[in-house]
Amino acid sequence: MKRYFAGVDIGSTMTKVVIFSGIIEATIIGPTGPEHRKLANKVMEEALNLAHIRFEDLSYIIATGYGRINVPFADRQITEITCHAKGLHSLLPTVKTIVDIGGQDSKAIKIKDGKVVSFVMNDKCAAGTGRFIEIMADTLEVPLEDMGRLSLTAQKAASISSTCTVFAEHEIINKLASKETIPNLIAGIHESVATRVSAMVKKLTIEEDVAITGGGAKNIGLVKALEKKLGCPVVVPPEPLITGALGASVLAKEIFEKYEREGQIPARSSCGLQEAKIFS
Amino acid sequence: MAFFIGIDVGSGWTKAVVSKDNEIKSYAIVPSGGDYNKAARDACEIALKKIDISTKDIKYTVATGYGATMADFAQDTASDISCHAKGISALFPHVRTVIDIGAQFTRAIRIDEDGRIINFIMNEKCAGGSGKFLQVTARILRVDIEELGSLSLKSKNPVEFTTACAVFAESEAISRISEGARPEDIVAGIHRAMASKIITLAARVGMTPNYAITGGGAKDTGLVKALENELKFKTFVPDEPQITAAFGAAILAGSR
Repeated sequence: MKRYFAGVDIGSTMTKVVIFSGIIEATIIGPTGPEHRKLANKVMEEALNLAHIRFEDLSYIIATGYGRINVPFADRQITEITCHAKGLHSLLPTVKTIVDIGGQDSKAIKIKDGKVVSFVMNDKCAAGTGRFIEIMADTLEVPLEDMGRLSLTAQKAASISSTCTVFAEHEIINKLASKETIPNLIAGIHESVATRVSAMVKKLTIEEDVAITGGGAKNIGLVKALEKKLGCPVVVPPEPLITGALGASVLAKEIFEKYEREGQIPARSSCGLQEAKIFS
Repeated sequence: MAFFIGIDVGSGWTKAVVSKDNEIKSYAIVPSGGDYNKAARDACEIALKKIDISTKDIKYTVATGYGATMADFAQDTASDISCHAKGISALFPHVRTVIDIGAQFTRAIRIDEDGRIINFIMNEKCAGGSGKFLQVTARILRVDIEELGSLSLKSKNPVEFTTACAVFAESEAISRISEGARPEDIVAGIHRAMASKIITLAARVGMTPNYAITGGGAKDTGLVKALENELKFKTFVPDEPQITAAFGAAILAGSR
């Protein structure tokens, strides 16, 4: 009989669920937005439907990410750093450095055999995170998913001297008024984020292969800019948003099986598939 | 009749002051928008109209602020720091430290008894603690920015903010609202977070008991109260705190 495990990654902007049985059975990505935060159960339900299983069929559930504490139906919480490392290693075993650019933070993780060796993180300043790009996309009235493609048509990246997101937004409005082209501005925006992120990554010794995950990995312009700043190629996993949730589901399987080998049954959450409590 | 004009083209608002004998005769405040030159012209026109004089009566014009160079009709420009110092010493001769809280920039200026600048500092790198916090808070609470002060003073249990970043403070405020925090507690929490950031900045030029707050931020009674609570000194606030630098520019215009 096949056993099913689930990983739930509640990020600042997206909630991700992976159902895993040794292979990925289902992945669902839904928004976390303020009113959706409580609805981790809805995303879980969708994933269960996609995998054609019931909640009761899940042997073990691990929650991770920014909102992991408040998933009542999860059996255990594990930090996103550990889960990212695990998830990425299961997809791309040659990767030694992970750069994750999320909606509200960015981090770099050094891994060995799927385990975390060291990591650095920026969650203090919006510059160098996905939020910076989101805000600028709004300012330029360009859909977020078009930013990467458009930046590749730039003639010359506009130079953006401000680090702070608030100041940079103003700078971009002024540059737009003085007729700088949108592709050049977007290329400049990506350069700005890449500069910040690479300065952070370089606090660790970079070892190849380097992979990029998180929403930032979906932006081809940002990936190219980062490759230039880091001076090495960057691998993008097939679905860069799910590495955290995938790692959580892989860990769920490993932990469950370890208990089993020792002849024990892991403690489960007593909660069913109910709404997550409001965030702390 | 010798009238002078000082224009302060700020990142958020453009202010024009018409002066005579170093006294404010008229002023106007308009949004800066994208066209700084137009904003500067509009502000002057309104200020002149108020006292029924025309550009012919103006002897000299000095522009200052973020977009000073865009005001193409001004004869000269001056730094916003020196204009602030000039303006505040004319209004409050005993003041030695000025904290200016603008739409994006916060500055702290130390001046000596003759109104000369001893030292100054500005938040060039980070908008943490700037007026941007107030704009963001007003927007997400759907209240007018002018209402923030009175709202904040009603708070009994200010929300504790963990971030100093203006962008992240917005998401944090939204989270707190979705958890049911009261609007007045959100605003009071934002005011506290701003006050602590502003005081850290001002401490780098050295705070003195006789200090003044200028700029749009000084119109927010909740923020002024939060600063007073931290600093334990009474704050001097000009009647119209937003026009301090423009007034300083007008004084400089008069001396040229």
